[in-house]
Amino acid sequence: MQCLHFRGFEEQSHYSPLVRIVLTCTFLFLLPAILYGQKPARPKPSVLVLYWYNKDFLGNEIFEQHFKNALKNVSNGPVDYYPEYLEEDRFPGKEQAQLLHDHLLRKYANRNIDVVVAVSDPPLRLLLEHRHDLFPNSPIVFVAIKPPAKDVLSRPPGMTGILPASTHKQTVDLALSLQPDTEQLFFISGTPERDKRLETIARTELRQYEDKLKINYLTDLSIDELVAGTSNLPPHSIILYGWQQSLGPDGRFIETWDHLAAFSPTASVPIYGMGSANVGRGIIGGFVSGSEENGQRIGEMVQRILNGERAQDIPVENAPAGPMFDWRQLQRWNISETRLPPGSVVRFKELSFWQRYKLQITGVISLLLLQTAFIAVLLVERRRRRMANKALDRLNAELETRIDARTAALNAKSRELETFAYAVAHDLKAPLRGIDGYSRLLLEQYAANLDHEGRAFLRTIQDSTDEMNQLIDDLLAYSRMERRELKSARIELASVIHSLVQEKKREEAVRAIDFVVDVNGSAVLADPNGFNQSLRNYLDNAIKFTANVAAPRIEIGSRQNKDSCIVWVKDNGIGFDMKYHDRIFEIFQRLNVTEAFPGTGIGLAIVRKAMERMGGRAWADSAPDQGATFYLELPNE
Amino acid sequence: MSETRTKAIRPILLVEDRAIDIDLTKRAFSKRKLLNPIEVARDGEEALAYLDRWEAGEPLPICILLDLKMPKVSGLEVLRRLKGHPRFSTIPVIVLTTSTEDEDVNEAYRLGCNSYIVKPVEFENFMNVASNIEIYWCALNIPSK
Repeated sequence: MQCLHFRGFEEQSHYSPLVRIVLTCTFLFLLPAILYGQKPARPKPSVLVLYWYNKDFLGNEIFEQHFKNALKNVSNGPVDYYPEYLEEDRFPGKEQAQLLHDHLLRKYANRNIDVVVAVSDPPLRLLLEHRHDLFPNSPIVFVAIKPPAKDVLSRPPGMTGILPASTHKQTVDLALSLQPDTEQLFFISGTPERDKRLETIARTELRQYEDKLKINYLTDLSIDELVAGTSNLPPHSIILYGWQQSLGPDGRFIETWDHLAAFSPTASVPIYGMGSANVGRGIIGGFVSGSEENGQRIGEMVQRILNGERAQDIPVENAPAGPMFDWRQLQRWNISETRLPPGSVVRFKELSFWQRYKLQITGVISLLLLQTAFIAVLLVERRRRRMANKALDRLNAELETRIDARTAALNAKSRELETFAYAVAHDLKAPLRGIDGYSRLLLEQYAANLDHEGRAFLRTIQDSTDEMNQLIDDLLAYSRMERRELKSARIELASVIHSLVQEKKREEAVRAIDFVVDVNGSAVLADPNGFNQSLRNYLDNAIKFTANVAAPRIEIGSRQNKDSCIVWVKDNGIGFDMKYHDRIFEIFQRLNVTEAFPGTGIGLAIVRKAMERMGGRAWADSAPDQGATFYLELPNE
Repeated sequence: MSETRTKAIRPILLVEDRAIDIDLTKRAFSKRKLLNPIEVARDGEEALAYLDRWEAGEPLPICILLDLKMPKVSGLEVLRRLKGHPRFSTIPVIVLTTSTEDEDVNEAYRLGCNSYIVKPVEFENFMNVASNIEIYWCALNIPSK
C-alpha cells in the first residue's frame, strides 16, 4: 500500500534503460516446437508486472513474494514472470516514461503476455496511455486508488483490480477499543518534499474524533526530532503512524520503516499504523493493508484470468484489509491477546520455551520416564533376583543341614549296625568255644564209651565248629574293614607280595604251588590294611581253587597306567562262568558246594569293599576250567 | 626256700564272667599240671575287691588273666586301676579276651597290660595258650621234681 501513497510527482514518468537478455527464455519457448516438429505445444502462461518504484523497494519485494506465491495453482503453469520497474523517482520526467514505453514495446514485440499487472496508479496510467500499442491484447489487473471508468474496464481484453482504501477510521476505532481511556492522538507523517497530502487525508478522516480526542499532527520531523518528540508523550495517548520519509543530515534518503524503527523503541505510548509492512517494525498493530495483501489478491485475480476467466467478469473490489498486531508490542504495552477483535492476525509471536520445544521436551521427558521405568523394572528385577537368591541360599543351607543330619543319622545307624554285627559275631564265639572244648574233652576222655559212629558225630561237631569259627572271623574282618580308619601310604608291591607269598608257601607246604611274581618294582598308594587283606584274600582264593589242579601255578603281576596301578593274581584253577562275575564279589555268594571248596563267601566281598573305600576297583576275568585272573585297580593320586 | 615256697602257692587270678570259660581255662591249666591255685573273680567289681584283700595281707597273685567284656566294671577299667596302683602295678596282667579289635588291643597295651592274648575257640589252641602263659609267666612256679 505504501507504494500507492502519493508522492506529488506522479505525473512525471521516467524510463530506465532496463535491458534484459531473455535468450534462455526464448530458447525454452522454442524447445518444444523443435522437439515435436509441427505440433507446437501450448505456450507457458506469462505475466508482466509493472512496478512503480525500483526493484529493491521493500513494498515491491513484499508484493512480488506474495504475488508469485498466489500463482502456484495456474492450470498449465508454471507462469513466466516478467517484472518491470517504472522507477519514476529515479528517472523522473515524461521523456523517461516514453523511453520505457519504447523499450517495453520492442522488448516484448515477439512475446505473448497473457496478463499485465499495474502496481499502483502511475504504472496503470502508463499502460492506459499506450493501450493501443503496448500490450493491446493483454487484460490488465491493477492496484489503483483511481480506477478507470467502467466502460474502459469492460472493454476487451478487459481490466479488473483492487482499490486500496484508507483505514484511519478502523485503526483508530481499534486503538480506542483496546485503550478506551485514550485522550490524545499523535499523527505522524511527512515527506522530504513536505507534501501535506497524507496529512490532509488523515485530518479529513480523523475529524470525527475531535470531540473525543485531542489530535496532534507531528509532520515533517527529522528522525531525531521524532525520537525526542515521542519519547515523552503524556499518558493516555496513542501515536498513529502514517508515512514518514526524510533526508538525513548527509542528504541520504531515509525510508518510512527506518523512521518507525528509530523512534518506536523509545516511544512512551503505543504506536498504531495502517500499513501491514509496519507490523514488525514498531507499530503495535492496526487495521492494516499493504503490499502483502495486495500481492496475494492480485495474484489470485491473475490466476483466475490465466485459468480462463475474462478480466472484465471479475469485479473490481476494495483492497483486502484487516486487524493485525505485533505480539511483541502487545506484550510491551501489556495488552492481552484476548481483547483483540475476532479475526485479528497476530504476528511475531514469540513462542515460550515450552511452545518452541514442546516436541523435544515431551520427547526428552518421555525418554526420561521410559528410562526411569526401565531402571525401576531393573531394580525390581534385581531385588527379586536377590530375594530369590536369598531364598535359594536359605533352601541350600536347609538342605545342607538336612543332609548333614541325615548323614549323621545314617552314620550313627551304620555304626550301630556294625557294632551290632561285631557284638553278635563276638558273642557267638564264647558258646562256640564251649561246644568245641567240651566235644573235644568228650572225645578225649570218653572215647572208649563211644562207638565209631558216636566218635564220627563228635568230629562233625568239631568240623562245624571250625566252619562257624571261620565264618565269624570273616564277618568280623568284613565289619572291621568298614569301621577301620582309612589310611593312605605308599606300598612297595615287591616286598608286600614277597612276604605274603612266603607266608602262603609255608601254609601250603604240602602242595607244590608254583608262585610267579613279576611286579617290576611297582608301588601303589593305598590303605595298607585294606590292600594287604585284599591281596591275601585273592591269594587264598587262588590257592583254594587250584586245589584239584595237577600243577597249580599262581602268577602275581602289576601294570602301571597313567592314572592307576593294576595288580592281578592269576591262577590255573577251575575258573568260573563270567555270568556269575558280579555275584562272586557279593557277600555270602558262593559258586561251589562247601565240601568241594570250603569258604564263607566273604573273602571277595571284603576285597571289593576295601577297594571301594580306597577309590579303586576289583574285578575278575575267567572262563570255566580256564583259570581266573583277579584284578585290583588303585588310583595313583 | 621259704620265699620259693611262698611263690609256689601264689595263685593265678582269673577275672572272667563266663562259667564255661572259667571251667575250660581251669581244665586247660590242669592239663598242664599247674599247681598254682586259680582264684576267680566273676566280674570287674569282684576283681577290684582284691585290691583291698591284698592290702589286708592276702598273697598277691603270680599273674592276672583278665577278660575285657564283663558286666558292671569292664576289664579295661580294672586294668587301668591295677596298673595305676602304687603297689600292685607290678603284678603281670595278661588280657585274655575274644576281642580282636585294634582299639581294645591298643588301649590295653596303653594301660600297661603285659600281654594280650585272643581266646581261641578250639580247645587245643586254648591249651597251647595256657601252656605259653604258664611257661612265660609262671615258669618259676613249676615245682622241681
